[in-house]
Amino acid sequence: MGDPHLLSSAHPAAAASSFARKHPGPIDERFSDPSPHITKRPRVAADTAATGGSAPYPEAEVRSLVMMAGGIYPLARAEALRGLAAVLGKVDAYRCFVAGIVECCYGCAVELMRDEDEGVRLAVVGLLGLCAQKFAARWDVDAKSDGDIMDLIFQQLSSMARDMCTKVRIEAFGALGKMQRVSEGVLLQLLSKKVIKTDTMSGTIIKGQKLPPKLKIPCAAGIFAHGIEDEFYQVRTAACTSLGALAKFSSQYAEKALDLLMDMMNDDTETVRLQTLQALFHMATYGYLSMQEKHMHMFLGLLVDANALIRNAARKILGLVNLPKLQMFKSAIDCLIASLEKNPEEQDIYGILFSIGKNHGSFSANIAKHLAKEIATASDGELILDRPRVKALMIVSISAPFSDDKHKKLDIPSIIFSHAISLLGKVSCALGEEVNQDSLLSYLCHKGGMPLWGNRSVSAEFGESESCKVETVEVGEQIENTAKATKCLDRVLVMQSVESILQTVEGAWTMRMSCDVCEARTILRTCKEELKVLAENSSGSIGAFLSFLCEYLDAIRLVVELWQLIQLDNSYTVGLTAPDILLEKLNISVRRMECCYAGLNRGLEVQVMELSLLANLLGLSNIGACSKAVLSKLVWVINRLEGLCADGSCELSDFSREIKKTFEADHIGNALIRNIHTSVELFRLKPTTDFGALKAISAVFQVCDNNSENPLSYICGLPVGVSFNISLWNISSNNRLWLHMSIGESVQHTFLEFSSFEGDGEVKSGSMVVPLNTTPMAHSFVLRVCLIMECYGGISSNQERHGGPSDCVVQLSDELDVYFVSTGQR
Amino acid sequence: MSIECLVLGAGQDVGKSCVVATIGGRRVMFDCGVHLFCRGRSSYPEFDRILAASGATDFTAAISCVVITHSHLDHIGALPYFTEVCGYHGPIYMTYPTKALAPMMLEDYRKVMVDQQWEEGQYSYEDILRCLKKVIPLDLKQTIQVDKDLVIRAYYAGHVLGAAMIYAKVGDAAIVYTGDYNMTPDRHLGAAQIDRLKLDLLITESTYAKTTRDSRRAREREFLQAVHKCVSGGGKVLIPLFAVGRAQELCMLLDDYWERMNWKIPIYFSAGLTIQSNTYYKMLIGWTSQKIKDNYRAHNPFDFKHVCHFERSFINNPGPCVLFATPGMISNSGGFSFEVFKKWAPSEKNLVTLPGYCAPGSIGHKLMSGKPTRIEVDKDTHIDVRCQIHQLAFSPHTDSKGIMDLIEFLSPKHVILVHGEKPLMAFLKERVESELGMPCYYPANNESVSIPATKNLKMSATERFITSCAGEQTEDNLRKQKLICGSNMAEANTDRKLAEGILLMEKNKAVKILCEDELVQVLGMERHLVQNEPMVSSRTGAAGE
Repeated sequence: MGDPHLLSSAHPAAAASSFARKHPGPIDERFSDPSPHITKRPRVAADTAATGGSAPYPEAEVRSLVMMAGGIYPLARAEALRGLAAVLGKVDAYRCFVAGIVECCYGCAVELMRDEDEGVRLAVVGLLGLCAQKFAARWDVDAKSDGDIMDLIFQQLSSMARDMCTKVRIEAFGALGKMQRVSEGVLLQLLSKKVIKTDTMSGTIIKGQKLPPKLKIPCAAGIFAHGIEDEFYQVRTAACTSLGALAKFSSQYAEKALDLLMDMMNDDTETVRLQTLQALFHMATYGYLSMQEKHMHMFLGLLVDANALIRNAARKILGLVNLPKLQMFKSAIDCLIASLEKNPEEQDIYGILFSIGKNHGSFSANIAKHLAKEIATASDGELILDRPRVKALMIVSISAPFSDDKHKKLDIPSIIFSHAISLLGKVSCALGEEVNQDSLLSYLCHKGGMPLWGNRSVSAEFGESESCKVETVEVGEQIENTAKATKCLDRVLVMQSVESILQTVEGAWTMRMSCDVCEARTILRTCKEELKVLAENSSGSIGAFLSFLCEYLDAIRLVVELWQLIQLDNSYTVGLTAPDILLEKLNISVRRMECCYAGLNRGLEVQVMELSLLANLLGLSNIGACSKAVLSKLVWVINRLEGLCADGSCELSDFSREIKKTFEADHIGNALIRNIHTSVELFRLKPTTDFGALKAISAVFQVCDNNSENPLSYICGLPVGVSFNISLWNISSNNRLWLHMSIGESVQHTFLEFSSFEGDGEVKSGSMVVPLNTTPMAHSFVLRVCLIMECYGGISSNQERHGGPSDCVVQLSDELDVYFVSTGQR
Repeated sequence: MSIECLVLGAGQDVGKSCVVATIGGRRVMFDCGVHLFCRGRSSYPEFDRILAASGATDFTAAISCVVITHSHLDHIGALPYFTEVCGYHGPIYMTYPTKALAPMMLEDYRKVMVDQQWEEGQYSYEDILRCLKKVIPLDLKQTIQVDKDLVIRAYYAGHVLGAAMIYAKVGDAAIVYTGDYNMTPDRHLGAAQIDRLKLDLLITESTYAKTTRDSRRAREREFLQAVHKCVSGGGKVLIPLFAVGRAQELCMLLDDYWERMNWKIPIYFSAGLTIQSNTYYKMLIGWTSQKIKDNYRAHNPFDFKHVCHFERSFINNPGPCVLFATPGMISNSGGFSFEVFKKWAPSEKNLVTLPGYCAPGSIGHKLMSGKPTRIEVDKDTHIDVRCQIHQLAFSPHTDSKGIMDLIEFLSPKHVILVHGEKPLMAFLKERVESELGMPCYYPANNESVSIPATKNLKMSATERFITSCAGEQTEDNLRKQKLICGSNMAEANTDRKLAEGILLMEKNKAVKILCEDELVQVLGMERHLVQNEPMVSSRTGAAGE
């Protein structure tokens, strides 16, 4: 073996080559030749070459690294293992299993599992985790492959979690939490130190694979029982996280894991307790959390904990769980009330009370009945509505009608509702922003039997007269809608998933750094799909924010793709190359973010501007020379960013500062192009989740009575009028809208005058007839129409407008086809 | 070379731990304890057997050093006797906290000796002081060169403040003696921690050879739940305890809970001894658990926030409170815990917690076995017991899972079990042998076990031999390289090659390895060829049979 200094070189390929050079004999030619290539090639290209199968580069790397892993120097062994992990991370799962690379890495890892050196063992854990991922991916491809191996790796990782070295334990628990499949028997064994006998373990089928549960490594038993009482809080935190994360595999496991997690609430470190609550929240969100009576004591203690963070986290969980018994429900409510009395500033308790009440309709009805009795018996002045207890019970009571169990008839005494009116503020606060206070008021009045709304002349015998009935129906509908909204749109939940998605996106962005472009792209796509689903089910500013994020992810994806192309550096530029198309798409996407959202707050605008800066930078590098238009746009963006950050409410990022510096040093922008790599590396994704009162600008329009079966008629060469029904959302009067109408190559723009449109600030709608000035000399044609909006922020390179919009526009609506047929043909 | 292991105490028994290991001619005595249920000379290990085994005339010559793992009497109690009465004058090693706690423990025991009026084997207070003066303190992971060959090193063992596992090495032969240890951390002590060493022998305790405990968390929860229920109902909690260890553990648990619940209910310590040992803990922070080490600068966790000043008259005060009182098992004969118990037991609101072990005959033992409603103290007095009883189950010893885990982690060539009961040890031996495949012994007292030890030999190799090995390997690899392209990679791990050569011991005893064709040259001889031609008589018809 070579000297240890060379061998512990960070780059696996470099290490491999140094190793090869040290060796005399024929191996030298074989190894020293390809290795420099590997180091020099852009990694992406190496990947594609490998998948092409023309040259067995990863195999050579793997082979030399495996050899090194058998060496005598511990640092070199550890580095070799990390190198293997790097190679394994790069190759595509299906292909590497064909070549047996995973098996090879796995074998190597297993051999060094009991190494004397901690560093080596640490690297083994990383490699094992990665192997598990690859094996799981293979399973996705080929369902027939052996599932036993997953269980074995799982147990091996568990046994590593019993290591004497803290770092190894942390890493091992982390890896356990990331496992993608495992049989139930093995999972249950992790919770119990006692070895579960084989015959009592049900060989339950998980993910379609029946496995003979068998404990191959005895010290893997009860690893979580050890993990949660570890001396180091980092280990305990990791164990808790994994404990919760694995709950998705088995309900039996989840039940037992809950016992352990509940015990963690006595931990002496706050971080661990918070992480445990996070794990519980995770379980509750996915519906694996079934609270039992024995847990209540511990859990209720958390609600009155001295620490506000803990209280808050515990409440959030309580808002999601299902309590099977009335007694538990009542004690939870009592505890919340106690907490409210102790900490009157924590108003979100009302919201939690509402959602608990909503989740347990019949229990809340029970509470309501008692409360009604109390109100009835209380003499004047005795029942003070200001008391937190009464307020709280009131909220629980009125939450009952919103509950899911509609099949049960829940009759809430009307006296409750009439009293609840005085708590309108609290109630609407508890319901969240989705509910309109007015509709709530009218609902309460209706339920409370008070004819407060509309027609005041209606007699006290409510519900008898015609007008009242009409109103009732309307109110009922309204409240139905709100109920629906509160049900599907737990705002907290949505924001939580958004946050986790954004985290994934950030991860994908860093992945791009490590050259895994394909995977990063897939992740970004999937994230966008998820956001889309959320966006479709949301409304208001949160919906707008979600669609904004979709746009943002699109742009990021384009940047990633573009950057990959630029790095590959294909020097041919004939016609519209792929980068050109991508760049144009990116620009459009950025422009949409800039213009199609009203009420962008500062954070969001900075985010968009930075993206725009990046897009322009990429544009520069794509052209290779500096176009004046791009440069001027760049200046504009930089100035805007400076303006935004001028008052210090947000900070100029390293990326923008660097560009500004380079630009100031050299106004022609050559330095910018030269330094583009370093600049782009500086770009950091940090999407904000604070969206304020964001509104999405959008438009929908249609042509009356027109489809391909039923075309409009025209006379060749003469103008023809087309009548549109147009609805506009969140358009202000300074927006300039145009109708973009095209027949083949010829385009006509018509300015849209919407001042006459009816509607409030949010939606405007109206119909108008737009003349199409020239019709072609044809029997029939299709007119493609869409609504576009001028961006007032951008700089137009085209000074003469020819009566049309500036060339800086965004499309507001989908394109619509209008069918025409010449009258002669009819 | 072999390792000889003479078990003088704690062989198939708990008490008077003492093992003498002979490694490459060096004799090391691990622990020197007394048996708490015996009196006089029989409570000490039979030291004379060391002289018999070694053939030496005095102990100082026979034994290279004595190492004490921790300050419990069954590990340290006989030390003053051995040094001052038997006359051992060699080096004695123990950790700093053990040295600090030792005088307190030994003096306690000396008083018992006097009380019990031992006829022989007593030592005086001066003996204790003289003995401890000779002790050389050890730090964790500090390697000490006892003499030219013998090296010892201490590793953290949990169990009690200052407990250590001892690694001893002579030449290539290495052993670890664990003493008592705990693989799961407490609130105040960490878990045992040791490197992965190449060992010939592991001598481990096996107190809980058959027990697998559930999580400590569950026991904590039960305890807190019981206390919570009692004090929130306005009751008083009596926790009878011995001074060191458990008291700190439970108090930290309660202090933390009080903090979280924001309670103002007082916690009292009745005994001066506990407060004194708290002071030790405060000084020896480095030997406690990670959390305490991390935080003690901001707040010393042994300065309990909710512990209040206590006076005897407080036991009659109304309202809830928690009281730690000694002695642990509530003995009939008296003690403060008994006094309080008399006062508090009749109310059903109150709670009494019992330690894991109570000696037969004590009130604690009576409460544990069944739930008596009436306890006769003597002819005239009795106590009506209506209070709640909660049994504590915290133990500073590791369970069988922990023992197995440690053995698995260290993977020694041989295992010896001590400090346990015979049937349980037999059970564990089976497990070690069947699950881990290591030979395992559990000798009785005064038995000795001999195991082979590692001896590494240095040898030189000719350049030619090395080149030929390397050449062979690369050729082999090349062949495999072609195989890979045909998609078989899994064999890359089985690269360990066998090299062929001739081992030659020269006149100066140096060993050398060389190639086959070099041999003739080295020996200065000519090569002779012998050819054989085998004659096999065969019949073609026989082939079918």
